[in-house]
This record gives sequence, C-alpha cells and structure tokens, in this order.
Amino acid sequence: MGKYEKNTITQDGQLLLKKAEKDQIETVWERYKAQLPQCGYCEMGLSCRNCVMGPCRIDPFGEGPQQGVCGADGDIIVARNLGRMIAAGAASHSDHGRDLVEVLAQVAEGSAPGYEIRDVEKLKRVAAEYGVETEEKEPAEIAGELANAMQEDFGTRKKELTLVSRAPEKRRELWKKLGIMPRGIDRETSEMMHRTHMGVDNDWQSLLLHGLRNSLSDGWGGSMIATEVSDILFGTPAPKPTTVNVGVLKEDEVNIIVHGHNPVVSEMVLLACQSSEMVELAKEKGAKGINLAGVCCTGNELLMRHGVPIAGNHLTTELVLATGAVEMMIVDYQCIMPALGIVAACYHTKMISTSDKARFPGMEHREFHPDNAKELATELVKEAVGNFEKRGNAYIPVEPVNAVGGFSVETIVGALGGTPQPLIDAIAGGKIRGAVGVVGCNNPRIKQDYGHVTLTKRLIENDILVVDTGCAAIANAKAGFKVAEAIEFAGPGLKEICGSLGIPPVLHMGSCVDNVRILVLASALANALNADISDLPLAAAAPEWYSEKAVSIGAYAVASGVYTVLGPMPPIAGSMNVVKLLTEGLEDVVGATFAVESDPEKAAVLIRKHIEDKREKLGLTFVKV
Amino acid sequence: MKKVVVHPERCLGCMQCMIACATAHSQSKTLLTAISETPLPKPRAHIGVGLYGEGFPNRCRHCDPAPCLLACLPGAMFRDSETETILIDPDRCVNCATCAMACPFGVIRYHEDAAAPPGKAIAVKCDNCLERRKQGLIPACVEICKSGALTFEEPSEAMKRKTDEVARSMSVVGGSLSVVRGPLQLTTDN
Repeated sequence: MGKYEKNTITQDGQLLLKKAEKDQIETVWERYKAQLPQCGYCEMGLSCRNCVMGPCRIDPFGEGPQQGVCGADGDIIVARNLGRMIAAGAASHSDHGRDLVEVLAQVAEGSAPGYEIRDVEKLKRVAAEYGVETEEKEPAEIAGELANAMQEDFGTRKKELTLVSRAPEKRRELWKKLGIMPRGIDRETSEMMHRTHMGVDNDWQSLLLHGLRNSLSDGWGGSMIATEVSDILFGTPAPKPTTVNVGVLKEDEVNIIVHGHNPVVSEMVLLACQSSEMVELAKEKGAKGINLAGVCCTGNELLMRHGVPIAGNHLTTELVLATGAVEMMIVDYQCIMPALGIVAACYHTKMISTSDKARFPGMEHREFHPDNAKELATELVKEAVGNFEKRGNAYIPVEPVNAVGGFSVETIVGALGGTPQPLIDAIAGGKIRGAVGVVGCNNPRIKQDYGHVTLTKRLIENDILVVDTGCAAIANAKAGFKVAEAIEFAGPGLKEICGSLGIPPVLHMGSCVDNVRILVLASALANALNADISDLPLAAAAPEWYSEKAVSIGAYAVASGVYTVLGPMPPIAGSMNVVKLLTEGLEDVVGATFAVESDPEKAAVLIRKHIEDKREKLGLTFVKV
Repeated sequence: MKKVVVHPERCLGCMQCMIACATAHSQSKTLLTAISETPLPKPRAHIGVGLYGEGFPNRCRHCDPAPCLLACLPGAMFRDSETETILIDPDRCVNCATCAMACPFGVIRYHEDAAAPPGKAIAVKCDNCLERRKQGLIPACVEICKSGALTFEEPSEAMKRKTDEVARSMSVVGGSLSVVRGPLQLTTDN
C-alpha cells in the first residue's frame, strides 16, 4: 500500500488508486510525476509570455538576463504574472455569478421553467441592499429589478460595488484611502489585463495594489453575488445530515455524479432525479433507485442546500470513475480535469458537458440554458438510467462517513439566537480563542487531504473554531470532523460551546464562491464590536490550493484584513520585493499579510500565534505562543 | 558506463538545465532557497545560441585525453578513475585560466563557489553530478530536460540509436526517401 499512501491519506483514494493501476488508468499523480522537475523560471514567476518580443526569462542566479526584452525586471514580471492570476480567478468566480444573475433575470421573465425564487425573504433583503423597492411587489418583479441592479455591478459606471456596504466602515475607509475600492466587477479584471500589457503599469507595488482591488471585486462582487443569487434561487442553506466519500455510490442504484461549480445545472439534475417518473424507470431497469452525488463545489452547493452526498474532492474526481459504478457524470465548469473523458472511456460511464463555455475531450456536449434546463436534465437522467444495464463490475470499497453541512451565516446567527453576540462572548471569554477559515483545493504536490485535515485537527484541539468551504470542506467531512460527536477532537472550551449548541467544531460553509459567507460573518463580528476585521482573532488557510481562483480568494481575504496562510508557494519567489511586501509589508497597508507554510503542523502554530497576538491587542486573555 | 549525451537538434533553448544545474550545486539543493545563498550558485551547463536562434546545450564532455587536464599547471585538475569525470581540487586551483584556454568547448568558468574556500574564485565546471549519483539520482540537467536534448545512457547505445535513425531516414517509403523521424527511443530493441 506504501506508494498509494504517499498520494492520499484517504482510504477510498488508496484503494481506488490500486484499482486504477490495475485498470491501467493514468491519474493526476502520474501526470504530475511526469512533469517533475517542473520549470524553475515559471515556479518563481520569472517567465513572461505577455508579448512576442519575448518569451522572456530572468535568471534567478544572476548570471543570465536580469530584464526581459522590454526591460521589465524580476519584480515587474512577478507582479504582472501574479496580477494575471488574480484576474483569471476573479473572472472565473464573477462569470459564475453572472450566469446566476442571468437565470434570476429569466426567472423574472418567466422564461426559465423549473427555476423559481425559493427564498423570497432573502430576495427582499438583498434587493433592499441594492435600493430596489420591495413593498407590494411580486417576487418576480423584485427579481427582475434586482437582476438589473446586479448587472450594473458588473459594468464600469459606478464608484463602488453595492455589496461592499457589508464591510465594516473602517475597512471601506481604508480601501478608499488606498485607492483600492472595487468599482466594477468586470472593470477591475479588464483593467488588470490592460495594466499587465507591455508598457502600461511597470511599478510592481501599484500592480499589486490593483491586484488587491481586482480580488475585492471578486470577494465583495462576483462571488458574493453568486452566493446570494444561489440562495435566492435555490434556498438559503440550513444544516442537513449527509454522507461523504466514494462509499456514497450505491451498488444497486443508478449513480449520477455532478461535477463543477454552478448550481444552475446540478439543481435541475437533482430535480429530475427526484421525479417519480424517473425513479419508476430506474426500477424497471432493475435498479433500486437513482442516487445523485456530487464531487467538488457543485457537490458542495447541493450538499449545503439539500444534503446530497459528496463522493470526493478535486483529486478524487478520476478515482470516482474508476469504481466503474458511475452511469453518468455531468459537468459544468471549473476544476474539471480534461483527463476525465479519457478515464471514463475505460468504463461504461457517460460523460456530459453542459456549459457553452466549457468543453472537454471525450465528453458529449449537451448545452444547458435556463429555458431548456429542466427538460434537458430529465433527458440526461433518462439516459443515465438506460446506461445502468451496461454497468460491469462495480468496486465501491468503503462505507460512507456521516457529516452535517449547510452552515450559512443566516443559520449560524440563527443558532446563536439572532445575533453574533454569543459567539463574540465565547471568544471574549476565551473558550473559543478565535476562528479560522480552512479553504481551497487539493494539489498533487501535497498528500491529498493531509494539509486540510492535519491543520483543522490542530486548530480545533486548540479551541479555534474552524469554518470551511470547497475541497477543504470535503476533506474535513471525510475525516469525520462534521458530526456533533466530533467535539471529541476539540479542546475543552470549543467542545463546551459546540456541545451546548449541538454543532460540530468544523462548520461547512459551502463551495469556493461561498468563501464570501465567511467574509459576511467576519464583518458581522467586526460591526458588532465597532471594529475592523483585521482587529479580530481570525485567520484563513489554504493548505492545498492549486487554482487561480484560490489566488484571488487569498488576495481578497488579506485585503479584507484576514491573515492568510498558504500551503503551496505561489509563483512569486523570483522577486524578494514582492515576497516581502506580501508577507510583511501589507501589514502596514491592509492590516494583514500572507504567510507560506507547506507543513500544516507548522501552519497551525503560525495561526495560533497570530490569533493569540490579536487577542492580546484586543485586551483579551492570551497565551504567548 | 552511462554518460550524459547531448542531442543539440532537440534543444528548445528553455534553459531549464542551467537552473537545475545551479540548484544541484547549491548548498540547500532547493531552488527557492538556493537563490538567497552566498555565494550564489551558478550553472555548469550553459545554453548557447546558434545562427538561427536555436539553442545548444553546452557542457563539459570529460574528454579523454582532456586538454584542460594536460594544461593545468598547479595540478588541480584530475580524473576520477571510477567515473572518468574530470574534477577540480578547489584548494589547488590558482584561478590562472589556462584550462579555459585549452578547453575546445568553452565550458570552464571562474567564480566563487560553495565548494571553494570563502572569497576565492576558482575554475568551475561540470562534475557529472557525482554527489547526486551517490544518492542514486541521474545528473540534474538530464533529469529536467523534457525534450530529450540531454540523455544519460551508455554511449554505445546512443551510437546505435543514431545509426538506426540515419538508416531509417534513408528508407524508401512509397517511392521517396522517408523523412520520418520517430520518437527518441532510449532502448535499442529494434
């Protein structure tokens, strides 16, 4: 088992890796190994492909060129590259948000059958924030006006985005003073692409400042809209029991997996799977029913709102197919490895791509639009059911683990009695030392889930409440941290508080766009104390991040005042100036910095020290770490 | 005995071998920390530029007889009998540059090095990554080369492969000479 244990701490992963090897399936780990050693220039951010006078590289050992053809030095090239990573991440989240706003607009028009406004109260609340009059109006009318108002946020005609009003006043003043108040969601991304064109912004500091503004246009713009509109359309999450890991697949049922990020597709697939007509059809074909499960973040979206089980996170997506038990995988976009179609070709699994902007080799393209989504979802589920009889030997080697998800801000504040005060009291009293968002991806550079699970375990042992999202949240669910009994893993103070509320010590707050829920919660705490987010004993960590989206998330967390510890090193080591600014200098600019620590045991110590330092500054009880 | 073989026609000019070489000869052996070391490690392999901008990976051939070895006045250069590698004793080197004048490939440089007494510039050249090979690793430049411009193999096998490649290029396919060149094959089983 040794070689499989090197890749992943998960039992299902290890067993399925063995099966994949037997089936001669190449996985992400083999492809990663084939790339080693990876390009040193790119790893350090010192290669530039922005123009065709290049490509250029800066020699980090000082012997070769120290400037690109245009004259850009290492600082400029590193900052430009990082800026473009942020732009790509912000664009991904924000375009996802835009798709939801378009569905909202079509629901208002009545041209999106199957979709509806499931949380009218939240619709009204968000509409009020956008200055949309809600008195004596039908939900559809409000939805139309809200969709319009939100679309304005994407444009460039405003001084600032609407939802930044949720941030503490001190934070907003700081953003204005620094000139990083986000003005338009698309504008900041577009401006980043402009600034990083040859011959535009060649001051690495000003590039990085705009990087922060670009990321804020994601966190307080595109992502926040994505989460809020998802809640309006599909319901605001509330705690629901569920199960996780590959064991959620069923031998005797039709297994359908949804993969990707946007609930626009997965929600309609869920509806179709629940229809009695489809369930009957499945029974006719000899299956006991239809089992829908998620992987990655669209899985998190369904888990949060409906308790739909999750089969795995990013690095499990190929292995799920290697069970041979999946009739159909339906994908939308983001983090879907192009290798999946090739893996699926070894089994009976049908692979379906659904988004006009996301296509993959080896997948059948069946495009979802709000007007055809319900109908198409039913067609696909029917085809999946028809595929059940083609299934060969299934290998589902583990039993699923129980978990509870669905901790929206509304739920958490509701559980506390309608105000964040009890949480503040618990922190002030020292029973809870602070709170940390453990978020982000999987990355074959780090043993799968080891970073998330080790860090989370150490934090809760030290009475630090953990909230999580994305693939980190799935890792922690697989590890068994998300049941009420998991308070056994927690320190005495956290155990007492969570025990009295009947909640786990690790709260599942959703998908990766849902990191904004953490921002909203942090703002609520800061506002209740008339403080800034950076004053609070909070931190964030992305122990296994890989994607450009994660760079944007990390940047908006820091720009919002949250100390953020990254596992893998971002490609910035080629410029000590950039490294110093991000890990030290930003403290004086936005009151928070990045840190990089690939060992989660050491990251836990860094975070604990940070939290105790913040407690000391607030005049609370503290321990010197 | 396996040797590093250079296939210049496969070089893409990416300079990865230079970065890997400098890192392999650093104190920390890790890129991200190597760049902060004193003295700054430097590569022993270099990419030259041809008439048409094409890359050429240039490294010590460990010639036999070796002009540098014959030219070295203080006797700092010697051949490791086991690996046939030409090495330099940093304590004996007087930085006179005679070896560089004798070297037909221009692969000997002069600078400070972690292996030399502090502050002393010495002649520095490829050491065939003997330190890595003791750990069972292949030379760093070969490990990182993704295009097959540098390979680590028995010279006889490299020669046989080259002979086969030439032979195949002369094969008549459909009435004309074949210009098809197959992928680089490191085994010669055909």
